[in-house]
Amino acid sequence: MVPYNLRLALLSLRRNRILSAVIVGGIALGIAVSTMFSTMRHAFARDPLPHKSDRVFYVRMDSWDPLKPYPGDDPNRPPTQITYQDMVALMRSDIPARQSGMYKSNLYLFPDPAVGRPRKVMTRLCFSDFFPLFDVPFKYGSGWDKKADQGPEQVVVLDEETNDLLFGGQNSVAKTVRIEDREFKVVGVLDHWRPTVKFYDVTQSYVQPPEGMYIPFNHLRPMQIRTNGNTDGWKSPPGPGFDGFLASETSWVQMWVELPKDRVQAYKDYVDAYVIEQKKTGRFPRPLNNRVTPMMAWLKEQKTVPDEVTTMMIVSLLFLAVCALNLTGLLLSKFLARAPEIGVRRALGARRVDVFLQHVVECELVAVVGGAIGVLLSIGGLAVINKWGQTLAQRNDLFRFDGTMLAVAVGLSLLAGLVAGVYPAWRVCRTAPAIHLKLQ
Amino acid sequence: MEIGPIVRALRRNKVRAGLIVAEIALTLAIVTNCVAMIVDARGKMTRASGFDDDNIVSVRSTPFEPAFKEDGYLDNSLRQDLEALRALPGVVGVSNTNFLPWQGGGSSTELKPVGGAEGLRTQIYNTDEGTFDALGIKVTEGHGFTREFVDADTLRLRKLFAEQRPAGADGRPAEKFLQEVVISRAFAKLAFGDGSPLGKMLEDSDGDQYRVVGVVEEFYNPYGWPIHEYVVFFANRARSYQGGAAFLLRAEPGQAAAVAKAAEQKLLALNGGRNIRVRTLTEIKAQYFGPQSIVVTLMGAVIVLLVLVTSLGIVGLTSFSVTERTRQIGTRRALGARRVDILKHFLLENWLLTTVALALGCGLAIGVNVGIVSAAGGTRLGWLTVAAGVALLWTAGLLATLAPALRASRISPAVATRNV
Repeated sequence: MVPYNLRLALLSLRRNRILSAVIVGGIALGIAVSTMFSTMRHAFARDPLPHKSDRVFYVRMDSWDPLKPYPGDDPNRPPTQITYQDMVALMRSDIPARQSGMYKSNLYLFPDPAVGRPRKVMTRLCFSDFFPLFDVPFKYGSGWDKKADQGPEQVVVLDEETNDLLFGGQNSVAKTVRIEDREFKVVGVLDHWRPTVKFYDVTQSYVQPPEGMYIPFNHLRPMQIRTNGNTDGWKSPPGPGFDGFLASETSWVQMWVELPKDRVQAYKDYVDAYVIEQKKTGRFPRPLNNRVTPMMAWLKEQKTVPDEVTTMMIVSLLFLAVCALNLTGLLLSKFLARAPEIGVRRALGARRVDVFLQHVVECELVAVVGGAIGVLLSIGGLAVINKWGQTLAQRNDLFRFDGTMLAVAVGLSLLAGLVAGVYPAWRVCRTAPAIHLKLQ
Repeated sequence: MEIGPIVRALRRNKVRAGLIVAEIALTLAIVTNCVAMIVDARGKMTRASGFDDDNIVSVRSTPFEPAFKEDGYLDNSLRQDLEALRALPGVVGVSNTNFLPWQGGGSSTELKPVGGAEGLRTQIYNTDEGTFDALGIKVTEGHGFTREFVDADTLRLRKLFAEQRPAGADGRPAEKFLQEVVISRAFAKLAFGDGSPLGKMLEDSDGDQYRVVGVVEEFYNPYGWPIHEYVVFFANRARSYQGGAAFLLRAEPGQAAAVAKAAEQKLLALNGGRNIRVRTLTEIKAQYFGPQSIVVTLMGAVIVLLVLVTSLGIVGLTSFSVTERTRQIGTRRALGARRVDILKHFLLENWLLTTVALALGCGLAIGVNVGIVSAAGGTRLGWLTVAAGVALLWTAGLLATLAPALRASRISPAVATRNV
């Protein structure tokens, strides 16, 4: 029955090609626009660590000015980052399964002169737990071990792009590279890792790609590496120079922990106990206000899904609704124009349900063909938008069309076909044979 | 033309009429909300900074040669760079400053009017004798900084911060310093009200004081906090091994790209132990407004496609309705109706449908807008936007009906006698 209906549907589509093109084109545009904008939103809103994001927490403490709260929309919010001295204290806890304070800095990398001039490469200073904490994929080697954190040993992890530049993509583990005035040994090379949202650091532009190099955090003091991220301060440092900066109330370090499910409260208590202890020395003059925020809640608080993207998705789904209405109208007219033909079929013994099915199949065929064209169009559209990403975020891979989005596109197409087609098909199957036969 | 028969005819075809109405109403709701987004984005993009944006070039030197770690070497290099940049053809203003408009941030601090109760957050940047000229703005009240003053103040500040400042009884530095500053009109109003701010004093949390010596009228640099129009400029030559040195150039109109290229070559030729990055402010601004320009383009495309889909839909439905009524049209023509009567009938019929749809659509547009505003903090709809959307769809509806209606008017009366 279905193959026969499909053949009928194809015949019907071929009969009036211009009309068919308008019908299929309309639904293709609807699918293209809605799939494209849903993909864009999905890229921003997706959970980057679906199997463990509820166990990963961002830590904040209110060490701000006693006279006024940290500036921002919400006066109850502590600073977005913590001070160096507090990070050092938190890292002493043995509650987290994994933990890392971190910041980024722009460091000079000196490639072999044959490869290129010295260049600044954005570098993340972090602890060994950073890589397993965020499921960072490796192509060669691995991260460094806890011993290297303490030294700190002169070890570096390169991202794919930096490794391509320096070593032509070869396995460079155990080779050395010069960063600023020191030699570092490569211990690992990242695999392709380009999340749309730089979820582990959303304190600045969160659409930037991950850093090109990773070195142990504790190089900060011997190499005097200042942060390239935000520094928020309210009080003059207690001394001059870099040491004064490290001892100051300036907040500039991000702190992440992965907690076993049953130790979340214990960790919160640990942080509170630390702050209460510090209050005795005159620090933390504001009311106790520490936050140990689950990852997705933190991303939501930092609004990593741009409002415009959500609005565009809503608009695009309404666009699809217009296309479906349009499809209903056109199919209804087309089917009714065919009523005399249906009259003959009915008179020759076709049941209503046969006629109904024949037309629903035709609608679904239209929707599936339109959907397929729509998916191709949306892939093209995303490629164009990704090109824009080059000026916007110095990257051309912000949005990817993946399996989830293909499933969404197929689902939307079938749904649109069904919603648009049921009424016209029902209407035409109720054609009374007699009246049309009389008019022949 | 009688409206009665048209309405009665429509009643016999409720579903199709309903579909057209629903489609146009929904289209209006979408189009108006898209237009609101575009207007919002354009409003942000066209906000004037007060600076000569089109002709400004940013130049940044970041040294890697260890020789730059020495203070004297850094100062020498800075002086040479400034001279070389001033000598470039097409350059009308040169400055060494850490201020860079349209980069989406900068540096800020909190200052309190002396005697005032509360600290006020403001942007703060170092300047030299050429900064205001390089930005293309004027100090309209008071004065800016001379070269000699910048040199002297730089030395004074550097000495002061070279070592730990001895603390007084309150834990703050015992010896205070006084610095002259130029501020924006908006910050002057915030801190001191409407009168002249010249000679008024600000102080920071250490008790150091700042005396206002000049005011710039226009200043707008979007910041993470709502301090876009507040700024304090102080005199200081800024350069370091880690941070490098930053310059702003102002080129003669149309020369920005050429000046940018020449500046890069010149500075690298002067000293190769560093990297030079040049960007025109036009590029920096385009990057800052990347999201807005994407919104404008995509929403524009959605409007065009949507009106196209809806128009084609109207063409299709009207065509069907013409085909279906071929015999009636023939009969009417045979009974004496002129072509123009048939044309009028279809145009009026669609006009009625469109008008009903647009009336409903206005309500729907507001409903969708309320939804968007609550779900994604979008822009509120203005009446002007809705009116523009109504006008657009009225026109599109009429144009889409025209072709099938003309076809209907050409149906020959003879058709009426066939097939009966």
